[in-house]
Amino acid sequence: MPGGPSITDLPDLKGELTLYIGGGEGGLYQQLADLLQQHYPDFTVQTRYSAANQVLTEGQNGQVRADVFWANDAGSLGVIEDAGLAATLNSNVTDLVRSRYHTDTWTGVAGRARTIPYNTQEFSESDIPNSIDAFTDTANLDATMGWAPTYPAFQSFVTAMRVLEGEAATRSWLNGMQERGNGGMSQYKNEWYVSNAVADGEIGAGIANHYYAIRVISSRPDAPLDLAFTKNDAGALVDVAGAEVMKDTSSPELAQNFVRHLLSAEAQEFLATWSFAYPMIDGVAPVEQLPALSALSPPDIDLTALADVQPTLDLLRETGVLS
Amino acid sequence: MTVRNRLHGLVEFGDEQRRHRLVVVIATCIALLVASPVVWMVVRAVGAPSDAFALLVSPGTLQVLVNSVVVVAAVSLFSVCIGVPLAVLTVQTDLPFAWFWTVTAALPLVIPEYIGAFAFSSAFGPHGAFADALAPLGVSSIPTIYGLQGTVLVFTLFTYPYVFLTTRAGLLSVDGTLVEAARTLDRSSIGALREVVLPQVLPAVSAGVLLTALDALADFGTPAIMHYDTFMRQIYVQYNNYAQPGYTALLSMELLVVVAVVLVLESRVSGDANAGFSGGGSGRPGRLHLGRWRWPAMLFPAAIAVLAIGVPLAILVQWYYRTGTTYAGFAFQLSDVLHSVEVSALAAVAALIAALPVAYYAARSNSLPSMIVDRVSYVGYAVPGLVLGISLVYFGTAFVPALYQTLPMLIFAYVVRFLPQAVGSVRSSFLQVDETLTEAARTLDHPPLSAFRRVTLPLVAPGLAAGAALVFLTTMKELQATLVLQPTGFRTLVTYIWKVQEAGYYSEAAIPALVLVGVSALSMLVLLARERYDV
Repeated sequence: MPGGPSITDLPDLKGELTLYIGGGEGGLYQQLADLLQQHYPDFTVQTRYSAANQVLTEGQNGQVRADVFWANDAGSLGVIEDAGLAATLNSNVTDLVRSRYHTDTWTGVAGRARTIPYNTQEFSESDIPNSIDAFTDTANLDATMGWAPTYPAFQSFVTAMRVLEGEAATRSWLNGMQERGNGGMSQYKNEWYVSNAVADGEIGAGIANHYYAIRVISSRPDAPLDLAFTKNDAGALVDVAGAEVMKDTSSPELAQNFVRHLLSAEAQEFLATWSFAYPMIDGVAPVEQLPALSALSPPDIDLTALADVQPTLDLLRETGVLS
Repeated sequence: MTVRNRLHGLVEFGDEQRRHRLVVVIATCIALLVASPVVWMVVRAVGAPSDAFALLVSPGTLQVLVNSVVVVAAVSLFSVCIGVPLAVLTVQTDLPFAWFWTVTAALPLVIPEYIGAFAFSSAFGPHGAFADALAPLGVSSIPTIYGLQGTVLVFTLFTYPYVFLTTRAGLLSVDGTLVEAARTLDRSSIGALREVVLPQVLPAVSAGVLLTALDALADFGTPAIMHYDTFMRQIYVQYNNYAQPGYTALLSMELLVVVAVVLVLESRVSGDANAGFSGGGSGRPGRLHLGRWRWPAMLFPAAIAVLAIGVPLAILVQWYYRTGTTYAGFAFQLSDVLHSVEVSALAAVAALIAALPVAYYAARSNSLPSMIVDRVSYVGYAVPGLVLGISLVYFGTAFVPALYQTLPMLIFAYVVRFLPQAVGSVRSSFLQVDETLTEAARTLDHPPLSAFRRVTLPLVAPGLAAGAALVFLTTMKELQATLVLQPTGFRTLVTYIWKVQEAGYYSEAAIPALVLVGVSALSMLVLLARERYDV
């Protein structure tokens, strides 16, 4: 039985709520909202898939339709926060989450760790360096790695590296990765494709968010795929999907209570079990294929800084990772 | 002529002028409405930082622009190679089960590009199903599908139906007596086809090619999955950086410059063919008899159907039957299917109504304004779906908040997006109708509207049906405008498919994709049956 606050201890959800979901993990976030609606007879929730730019445009024209925005990365949450569109969260919400995973206006709901998915037929865990910097000169990884530079989570990772190590070190790391062996880096559309290509043996290892590999394994249980983690650097970044209450909402109490429900033991258990997310509250464990959040060594970084994407895109272009 | 008659003639002339002016005004308004995304671009571009302007002419940007042009040229060429023969086979010959092949040839249009490209990379990738199947036979590696070749292959297979459907409509509007006349002049059947029929259907073919080309230009998913870098990637990457919309706006404007060049090129091709009015479609054109090739000829449409429909569905079904799938999201519902059919049918009707004045004006006048109105109607289609979506959010929230996220606004968005599909098909049909016929009907004392209904409309019916089919099928799979403008809580088949595939749950996409193809096939049958009654 998971620990942490149960929804039985929370005030009932009552009224109508409009929820904007920025990503949604294949419908799982929407499903969680629907389950809450089934649980409370006087609660209805309307969901739609809308990224931060729609929330932003609505806000700029004074037409915010969302009560709660559930984004899939801290960068998007930061953009809405910076635009002054988010309300301050109640302390009974933010107190549940460690300070690195929330600000005054948003709270992490589901953790997503950067990882190195690798093919277990080609490598063992000891072949994978535990420092992201070492990847540029580990000979057995030459010409067998892939990444997804158009994917926002990859760009957040590079932004984190810029913040942690500076632009010059990031530039030389990007160059070093592309110069490896004769093959450089294979590019994929997104990090599911990276993880799936590792499972196929198309590449030996990749750089991706952790849950994609677990999803590939769950649909192909015999896939030769496992995850390795680096330590105390951008390669071990833990970003969050998180929620914020819109300042213009007509039902602030309901919205705050809804976000609080997302951090209940039951909701956290659902997200951990089905979307393979890292839970944000103590007392709920991630799925068995994953090390505990406390066993990871994420870098010490202000997640809000990840919203500063343009210098990262410029750097990716200057190094030829993007055109 | 009595004075009274003469006066009557003057009044008639005045009416005619007024009517013409009304059509012009309506057509112009429609064109301006669908070009509205450009206004969003200008608003955003004004605030763009100077780095954004430098990006427009950076070597990397220019390189991917060239890549895009290469893809567009190749896809256009191959789409003609598939779409035109398929149209000729199903309309102009005694191919067995022609109606069945007509439906299968049109259907690849409903398969979303991210599903098609995923299937091809899964089937023919370096470690895909095809390579696995060949491995026991001693084939150790197959030529790579990644790169330009795979991108062109996938785009061609899923967008040639534009050319097929418009060409088919063009062929159905051809006057059979002309073909007979050519034959009596000692031309062979094939010779008659080449010399009489093809020049007449050229505007229809080029209308289809234009749709294919613009689709290939504005898609990110297919090249990304096939590991080929095109211009859309620049826009996609910048689009994800919400804080800096100026970059997206400027890059989209650069894309529109390329589109403008394509539009001018296309108008040259179809403009040259304006001379080819026919006598007016009395009777079907003579059929080609395939003789002993009649049955083997089915191999061609069958092969295309296997590649463009069979491969994607087979790969999804393979994922579906893989063990160990764990998915806790909700199943898609019947209401999702009904919503899809409902909005697609409404979009098809609305787009046809909006297309009639634009197409009529474009076909009946060779003036520069008429050409501009026709070409401007393509702007909404040429703008990438992502950018169109956010520009409509901007307009909705800024100017018509009462309509924002309502069904009428969603249908309006579809019209903005897909109007050219209807305009292209209908215009090329109008071009094939001889105006003197309508005038003759009028001298026979039919009032103008009745003359239009009784003479022109039946002749352009195949073009209307093709336009409706194109809009219907592409609305069935439309995503970007649907996501941002559908009423909150409204779910469709394609938003479901997109949602599960985006997270990598391809097994969950199998059944909805089968339903999508099945429902679209049924809808095509209904549409084809109507077309037959109308002609």
